[in-house]
Amino acid sequence: MSTHSTEPQHVSDDRGADAQDYVVQDTWIERAVGRGFARVTAGPMAPYQTAVIRIGFAATWLFFLLREWPHRHELYGPDGVWSLDMARRLLGNNGAFSVLVWSDGRGWFELVYALAMISSALLMLGWRTRTMSVLFMIGVLSLQNRSVFLGDGGDNVIHLMSMYLVLTRCGQVWSLDARRARRTPAAGGDGTPGRDVTGVLLWSVLGLVLALAQLMGLHGLEWTADGPFPHVGWGLALWGLWLAHGAWWWVRRYAPGEPRTVLNTLADLAHNGALLVIMVEVCLIYATAGWYKIQGNRWQDGTAVFYPMHLDYFSPWPELSALLASSGLVVMLVTYGTVIVQVAFPFTVFNRRVKNVLLVAMILEHLSIAVLLGLPFFSLAMVAADAVFLPTNFLRWLGARVAAVRDRLLPGGAARVSSGGVSGGASATASGAVADAASGAAAAAAGDAAGDQGNPAGGPGARTRESGGGHTLVG
Amino acid sequence: MATAAGGIAIAALVHIAMMFLHVAPSNTVTKAHGEAVSDYVYPEYEQNWKLFAPNPLQQNISVQVRAEIRPGDGGSARRTGWTDLTALDGRAIHHNLFPSHTQQNELRRAWESFVGSHDAQNRPNGVRGELTERYLRRIAMGRLGAEWTAHGGTVDRMEFRSVTTPVGPPPWSSEKISDKPVYRVLPWWPVTVDDVPEGASNQ
Repeated sequence: MSTHSTEPQHVSDDRGADAQDYVVQDTWIERAVGRGFARVTAGPMAPYQTAVIRIGFAATWLFFLLREWPHRHELYGPDGVWSLDMARRLLGNNGAFSVLVWSDGRGWFELVYALAMISSALLMLGWRTRTMSVLFMIGVLSLQNRSVFLGDGGDNVIHLMSMYLVLTRCGQVWSLDARRARRTPAAGGDGTPGRDVTGVLLWSVLGLVLALAQLMGLHGLEWTADGPFPHVGWGLALWGLWLAHGAWWWVRRYAPGEPRTVLNTLADLAHNGALLVIMVEVCLIYATAGWYKIQGNRWQDGTAVFYPMHLDYFSPWPELSALLASSGLVVMLVTYGTVIVQVAFPFTVFNRRVKNVLLVAMILEHLSIAVLLGLPFFSLAMVAADAVFLPTNFLRWLGARVAAVRDRLLPGGAARVSSGGVSGGASATASGAVADAASGAAAAAAGDAAGDQGNPAGGPGARTRESGGGHTLVG
Repeated sequence: MATAAGGIAIAALVHIAMMFLHVAPSNTVTKAHGEAVSDYVYPEYEQNWKLFAPNPLQQNISVQVRAEIRPGDGGSARRTGWTDLTALDGRAIHHNLFPSHTQQNELRRAWESFVGSHDAQNRPNGVRGELTERYLRRIAMGRLGAEWTAHGGTVDRMEFRSVTTPVGPPPWSSEKISDKPVYRVLPWWPVTVDDVPEGASNQ
């Protein structure tokens, strides 16, 4: 994980030096633990990478919700094809979380769908990032868990990442929050923030809504069951997050000394832990995809890529698919290339140069899949996931380019940038999301097209352990 | 602070271990502690990344449906011809840069979950089996209800079948496979008011 990331200036060597003073006779393992501790408490790692995945996942989900707007009633509405009654029976069994089952009303559904879109947009822009990440997660879980037989691999990635993002400090750069922090003169000159009416109001309203839902005994807010972790229900988790947000505001304003340092370090620890989980998750995706493929005879005989090109559901451009599938050699190169890249990737994260080459190949492959297999949202989600491994230099360069393009397009924005460093304003972040998706294309060559990932296989079964056979294209 | 760091490190490592065991093949640890892994993973961390593995799907499955319409005037019931719902999806996806989940996933995954929750005699395994039957009927009514009843009457029953056609081997391959389609015909199901989704009617 240490191959990239971290702003050098964040990594203070103080603790490391302190540690060395008294570890003369320590074993190497104690020294390693000491160094690791110093590093994970020194500050949030990978600010640009976490920002780019925040923008990537929020944008993917937002585009998806916009695309499905005309179909939203059929997909998620109270009387959609998978009716709310049916959803309730399934959720009653598996304990998955969804606020949509709170009411049969059309109004409630429209409100939740609208809030899911708004929270995605605001998370993408980094406005009240901490709060929006929680609302984003609630929106993702509520819609996906309500209609569980609709998703594919893309939905599955967003589902997981929406939960992990809540624990990351993903708004440190490329966010409206960061811009506001830069612009607001510190009230006391020591980093104490000024009044924050909007924040307090937002926090109070959300607390009120949660309290109301809890008092009404609505579905999914148990204290110790059916939550994100064993013995932690969503009720406990959401109240915990609410209290933590409140405490963070309070100590910054009224207790800027040690309490603030302690909370700050705790948040850094949570961020770094979640970042590790996100990176391992991406590696697990590729490892699973690659290692299971090696066992299949179609991947061994070099024809695997031929078949998806001839599936009705995954060949929106038959002419293009036929062209690609017409050469046995090309099909074999893509087939073998896909397996090699997927199996190799998790091991290359420790070598910056090889990792970056594979990253370019994977991003290009996903972009081809978007068109060739007709899976744009799956591909966008995977590109966003890949982006957590992009090098900081590249991301900063990209941010500067995006800001420059924005200034050319929006002359009025120039003033904003000059105060905004790498890329401050709203429009920069918005276009950043688009640039994120296109970044691979801009970056380099290496033509490794199509192949797989088009996880038709994917999508969760029924969020129940007996989902058996739910994933066909798998076998 | 060291305690907090240790706690968070342990939580992260436990989480990673659970995710690993969930996606790994059945093994010594999951055979002994599969229940604990499942308790941790379900419902919110379920995942499947066997993307086109171990082999890509090598067949097209067409889901087709026909109905029996009872006329309003009490005459004898009339049977519609088969409609290929999958072909309709295919047409909607053709030259489409942004296929909707309604076109690409809805029917495809409904059929998958039907197959996964029924035995070879098309009998449902419990609640999920019954729910997926209803899901299929609602999908069909949503797409064809209006057309079926355009000349009056109500949909009384409907029958599904799937036609599985293998994708032939590549032209450069000497492999020979049977290209005969395989049919799976489900029993006639009665249609009730519960089978009519929003936007459809059965009049």
